[in-house]
Amino acid sequence: MISNLMKAKNREFFRMQIKSMLKIVSLALLLGFGLATQAEQTAAPAADPKIAKAQQMIDDADKARKKAASVESEWRDTGKMIKMAKEALKKGDSVKAMQLAAKAHKQGVLGYQQAMAQKDQGTPSYLKY
Amino acid sequence: MKKIIQSLALLALSGSIAISAQATTPEEDLAAFQNFFKNRFPGVPMEEYTNGVYSIDPIGRENWEAIEEFPPYEPFIDEGQSMWETPFANGKTYKDCFPDGPSIKGKFPYWDKQQGMVITLPLAINQCREANGEKPLKYKKGPINNILSYIAYESRGQATNVVVPEDDPKALEAYEAGKKFYYTRRGQLNFSCANCHLQNAGMKIRSDILSPALGHTTHFPVYRSKWGTVGTLHRRFTGCNKQVRAKPFKAHGEQYRNLEYFLTYMSNGLPLNGPGARK
Ligand code: HEC
Repeated sequence: MISNLMKAKNREFFRMQIKSMLKIVSLALLLGFGLATQAEQTAAPAADPKIAKAQQMIDDADKARKKAASVESEWRDTGKMIKMAKEALKKGDSVKAMQLAAKAHKQGVLGYQQAMAQKDQGTPSYLKY
Repeated sequence: MKKIIQSLALLALSGSIAISAQATTPEEDLAAFQNFFKNRFPGVPMEEYTNGVYSIDPIGRENWEAIEEFPPYEPFIDEGQSMWETPFANGKTYKDCFPDGPSIKGKFPYWDKQQGMVITLPLAINQCREANGEKPLKYKKGPINNILSYIAYESRGQATNVVVPEDDPKALEAYEAGKKFYYTRRGQLNFSCANCHLQNAGMKIRSDILSPALGHTTHFPVYRSKWGTVGTLHRRFTGCNKQVRAKPFKAHGEQYRNLEYFLTYMSNGLPLNGPGARK
């Protein structure tokens, strides 16, 4: 009788042990997962260097565009290209984003150079004074 | 699009552009500008330039004369007249801002010493509206063209007479900025206004013959068949910037105001004949 009681108590103890172990394990699992997904989020750009590169190229292109605009020489489609590059990046297409940003950057640089080349110009020679 | 680029490339080749930076006065610029066209189109009388491309394109002209028999801009003049006569919410009218109105186009654009800027007619109209608690009108499309049509019509026959006052060096600066704008190549296609409307006036670009710059400001606003309505001078500036793939500037912002100042000065002496009709 007594031994039976002891056995039942032991079983009860055992069950509780397992329960709390399960709790700890699942907590650990949860934590582990959480940490893992968090790590994935912060590590993502590092994992795909193209995304960071594309973002940098877009920022550079926009700087070049603004520099051309500061000398009244921005080209018509540069802003549109930058916008399209941003959209492509948002959709995860970093290759397309980089292509567009490179094109926009070139336009910005050329627009600025175009203005600088004509900085000191006056009236054209076909006008006779 | 390819065709545009091809014809532009051809134009670009036709004639080199050595550019001199020698300083010239507005009077000298005017003489050189108008002489250029006298030499380029010796048979065309000065006043004819107010008719744009039709001064040098006899075939287009026939079409245009037929259109002018039932002027497509007429309803806009009527609308503009009722705008002019309808009091603002505060009871005042445009006449309170422009006592000599409505025939005031010949006074614009002018240098305003107090504001330190070129004042164009559309800008003055919006300043008047705002001073009277009304919303400003949009500068390119819409009702501004009605009132401009009416004022232009009432101002027919006045002479273009832009003044660069000598008592304020900033006026000359604004004129020079407009002039530089006109001769500066812009956009991916690398064209200046002058490349098309001076150097290559009379040449064909796709289905268009390039109109002479002389007289470019006398007839605005203009009814354009392509637009299907009347549009402002700065709308046209916008279109001409865009077609060489340059980013256009703000209508009645500093760049276009100064451009208008210079370009209108170049037509000094020519009579006003707006509103006009064009292809
Ligand atoms: C690539 C050539 C090209 C360039 C550059 C160009 N235009 Fe034009 N422009 C045209 C064509 C084509 C038309 C329509 C036919 C015409 O009237 O010449 C036109 C029309 C115009 C008209 C209307 C003429 C009228 O009679 O109603 C004005 C004003 C004008 N241009 C001003 C400018 C100004 C100012 C610039 C510089 C900002 C400029 N254009 C640059 C090709 C050009």
